[in-house]
Amino acid sequence: MSLSGKLQRMKRHIVREDTQKKAIEQPSFKGADLPYMDEWEKAGVKPYVSGDQFCLIREVRYPLLYKHGNHQFSDVTEAVAKWNHWEGTHPLSAKGMAASDLFFFDTETTGLGGGAGNTIFLLGYAKVQGGEVVLRQHFLPAPGNEVALYSSFLEQVDYTTLVTYNGKSFDWPQVKTRHTLVREHVPKLPSFGHFDLYHASRRLWKHSMDSVKLVNVEKEKLNIHRVEDVPGYLAPMIYFDFVERKQPEGILKVMHHNELDILTLITLYSHLSFHILQEGIGSTSRERMEVAKWFDAIGEKQLSAKAYSQLVEEKHTDTQITASHALAFHLKREKEWDQAVALWKEVCEKGTPQERIEAHIELSKYYEHREKQYTDSLHHANAAGTLHIEENGRLVEEIDKRLKRLEKKMRK
Amino acid sequence: MLSKRKSLRETIGWLQEEEAVCSNIIHWKTIPEKEASTVPLPADIAPRLADALKNRGIHQLYTHQLSAFEAARNKKSFVAVTPTASGKTLCYNLPVVQSIINNEEARALYLFPTKALAQDQKSEINELIQEIGLPINSYTYDGDTPANIRQKVRKAGQIILTNPDMLHSAILPHHTKWVSLFENLTYIVIDELHIYRGVFGSHVANVLRRLQRICRYYGSDPVFICTSATIANPLELAETLTGQEMTLIDNNGAPAGRKHFVFYNPPVVNKPLNIRRSATLEVRRLAGEMLKNKIQTIVFARSRVRVEIILTYLQELVKNELGSKSIRGYRGGYLPTQRREIEKGLRNGEIYGVVSTNALELGVDIGQLQVCVMTGYPGTIASAWQQAGRAGRRHGESLVIMVASSDPLDQFIIDHPDYFFKRTPETARINPDNLVILVDHLKCAAYELPFKRGDRFGKTDIEDVLEFLTEERVLHENNGQWFWMNDSFPAHNISLRSASQENVVIIDISETANHQVIGEMDTFSAMTLLHEEAIYLHQGTQFQVEELDWEEKKAYVREVDVDYFTDANLAVQLQVLEEDKRREKENITFSYGDVAVHAMATIFKKIKFDTHENIGSGPIHLPEVELHTNAVWMSLNDELKNMSQDRLENGLIGAAHALKAIIPLFAMCDPSDIHIVPQVKASHNEKPTIFVYDHYPGGIGLSEQVFSQLEDILKQAAELIHRCPCPNGCPSCIGTDTAFYSAKKDAHRLLEMFLMLGEK
Repeated sequence: MSLSGKLQRMKRHIVREDTQKKAIEQPSFKGADLPYMDEWEKAGVKPYVSGDQFCLIREVRYPLLYKHGNHQFSDVTEAVAKWNHWEGTHPLSAKGMAASDLFFFDTETTGLGGGAGNTIFLLGYAKVQGGEVVLRQHFLPAPGNEVALYSSFLEQVDYTTLVTYNGKSFDWPQVKTRHTLVREHVPKLPSFGHFDLYHASRRLWKHSMDSVKLVNVEKEKLNIHRVEDVPGYLAPMIYFDFVERKQPEGILKVMHHNELDILTLITLYSHLSFHILQEGIGSTSRERMEVAKWFDAIGEKQLSAKAYSQLVEEKHTDTQITASHALAFHLKREKEWDQAVALWKEVCEKGTPQERIEAHIELSKYYEHREKQYTDSLHHANAAGTLHIEENGRLVEEIDKRLKRLEKKMRK
Repeated sequence: MLSKRKSLRETIGWLQEEEAVCSNIIHWKTIPEKEASTVPLPADIAPRLADALKNRGIHQLYTHQLSAFEAARNKKSFVAVTPTASGKTLCYNLPVVQSIINNEEARALYLFPTKALAQDQKSEINELIQEIGLPINSYTYDGDTPANIRQKVRKAGQIILTNPDMLHSAILPHHTKWVSLFENLTYIVIDELHIYRGVFGSHVANVLRRLQRICRYYGSDPVFICTSATIANPLELAETLTGQEMTLIDNNGAPAGRKHFVFYNPPVVNKPLNIRRSATLEVRRLAGEMLKNKIQTIVFARSRVRVEIILTYLQELVKNELGSKSIRGYRGGYLPTQRREIEKGLRNGEIYGVVSTNALELGVDIGQLQVCVMTGYPGTIASAWQQAGRAGRRHGESLVIMVASSDPLDQFIIDHPDYFFKRTPETARINPDNLVILVDHLKCAAYELPFKRGDRFGKTDIEDVLEFLTEERVLHENNGQWFWMNDSFPAHNISLRSASQENVVIIDISETANHQVIGEMDTFSAMTLLHEEAIYLHQGTQFQVEELDWEEKKAYVREVDVDYFTDANLAVQLQVLEEDKRREKENITFSYGDVAVHAMATIFKKIKFDTHENIGSGPIHLPEVELHTNAVWMSLNDELKNMSQDRLENGLIGAAHALKAIIPLFAMCDPSDIHIVPQVKASHNEKPTIFVYDHYPGGIGLSEQVFSQLEDILKQAAELIHRCPCPNGCPSCIGTDTAFYSAKKDAHRLLEMFLMLGEK
């Protein structure tokens, strides 16, 4: 056996004492058993060797002033700063963090869905580091090298918060699954926070978009238009072909696709943050409505009330009544009955059928319990019942019970 | 006037004395009571567990329960043969609970053939756990488990109760989410082992290979605990299924009361055609008599429809009752709460009659009744005993009445009570190395963990298969390891239960807004029974096939009312590929080996009822179907001088019909698992030959079983024809496909000729 071969085998033992620092400075190691090394190197890819396994790492750096879509990367620093100055809680809040704590993460896998046999062949991430955005991709050149893949990945990560697109239900569970298979040979997976921008995007845009897929969000909201991009669903086929033929061309395209996905995460995080924080990026009234509803849902009642009343005052045709309806519930909680009743009366006239049913029921409750005016109460309950039948073809128990009770009360 | 209710004793007297009844009783066997054989609780049982047992009134164990406990404690895998109501659950619950009391990290996996059984057993084990007072987590894991508790089940479940399908498609492919189970798996319990036979059993054997492979990966080496009803080969089945060496525990120590086993054959109502009074009507009379006297009775019927009919009849008896009825139907698919209600009703006497399909035969414990009535022979000796076990408390008398139908197998059994009582029950066969099944599961296994060079699957060398899958680009080889390299989820495409991968689904489109799937049929049978324009009979109703979508394997049928039936010609060619085994003597050869079956439907005829005139015909346009499988073939080398070609053909058809009826007596299978083809001139040797083949690609061991017992099978088939009282052949012996008056005689003669070999 040649010395280099022996060294390669012993490497794990030799490097072990000081892995953390040395690993980053892995020299370009020609011993990795892979043809087309020139093409790989041209693309900024270097091998990483661990024992008798290896993986490839590609690194790209972008200046913070680089503009991807309608935001510069530096906007993420601004967004984090704004979160830090903002009073309130929110699932996407970066309060207490620096921009460099965010770890924008995306994977490419050999199949859809979870399961032990779905291999992750590309782990990609970007972070803000020393005035630049550093993007790295760890690539599995052939199955059976996952110890190298996860070792190299876990040596590099020091994040507090993952930022992904649907990573809560897909990417991260899959990383856990594949990590379990090599867990005896690689460091533990650290715990972390997680911003899943898919859920945030759905909240803001599911009404206005057919499908809140990342490419659609790019096109419609972020002004990013990909050229010559390989669609994600082809990635498994391209990988299988690579594993057989070792020709890097296709895989480099998949890497490019993954790179764009990750860069978009940075832009999207800035963009969503500005929408939520109302930092004058021209949110539509509908988007503001959704942000307000989100506040409402997480218990930031004052923030949502403020947003609703602004929308009511501005009288946008698409949100005024919905905002009034939501604000009325807030006023009811605050026992501002007169204002609430006034708003609901308007909703009864102009709202969507569902809103009108709810408003009538609220008014019916108000007249029954607060004013003891059963005639008015019954009038609204009847209106709600009629609408419900018109809409759904039948009555619900809730309304039916109310009607019966009121009729009984009136007979007394 | 109020008539006094009869007791069971008096009803037995009635059976013996009432002329119209007792004349139909062919055989009456009384099985004497059996004393319990018990032993004290073992010394090494955990004190908390012993106390819990005592609180539940268990101060001693039956001998087999002790043997089971000791074997499990000594890490010996075993199969316990346990008749109904012999306390089999303690055979596994005791060692499992003990292991968890001693080490809370220990885990156990229970496999039941159905979801209902798992849920049933969960309540049983929870009662024991509650008595012990320790927080032992037992959960069912199946399609009904809510998503929000799945994670808890995976991480903290100490006893997981599930079924093989769930293990196959939801647990094994996601094993990384079950690390704590697989690292600490101590016992694997397989209840109702005898259900795992044929195609299903062959699949499950491979699922268990995958399970054990994953256990090894996580460093556990679980002990297998199996329980089985009485079959001929429990030990062999358990060892083939699990790939482990097993101990047999059959020292059943449970007591049993006196049992009367009555064979009842309905009277012949049409002599020339040998048609008997319907078993259903006889059951109505017999069970009615029991129920009138409020004697707790369970009635078994072979199909859901039969259950409905009998139930309607019997509920007549209680139609004036208010509220819920005291005679109930019981079908597979009932919810646990409904079952509990029936169980409770039976225990406190509110319910005294149950009509059930075979679902109840599967270990669900509804308590013991006094009388069991079977509408027809249940198909195997093993199930007959299981159903009979439903009647008979541990003390006191019970009565079992088996009412035969006109089915040839029923008639054979009713005529041969000794055969039923003395013979060992059927052999359950599986073939885990069936190539089709094996390849399916190797894909799943490779998805779960890569294979290394030299790895075996069970005991099977699989390198060739792995190479094959590599060429198919499903696996990728790298550094002596094979990795899954495909974007699919293989377990989702593989069903453990389908007999053939491609069954034709039958869809009733009579009601435009309410299309319903009414059945399934294998592709072979579908060619002749579901071709376009075929009249398809489903539970007595006529349907016409409007469209047969062969690509999608769907047949669309519409209800019709016509006075004809259709009869299609199927041209079957059998090609012998390889002969593996052979026995011959003078004029006869028996062989076993591989065959290729080519079948093509050619034309169909419309035949008028009653007159049997041919009133039309048409072509069938379906592709040829090919099947590679195992087969037995028997040939006559003799020149059949005094039998014309036509008579020979009809004789062979008749003999084949009788053989088809008899084979399930020897190998546990559904009638559709085995096909029989008679040929006047087989293409490979030009001799009169009867082929018997496994109706599943690659074979599942049935024809091999037939080969080893062929002489016996032929003898019983000849006997069946000989003993049949009809003059010239009837559905109970040689069937109705023969056209010659001499067919019955010829069929019998041909079987005797084949038997030359037997008379050594």
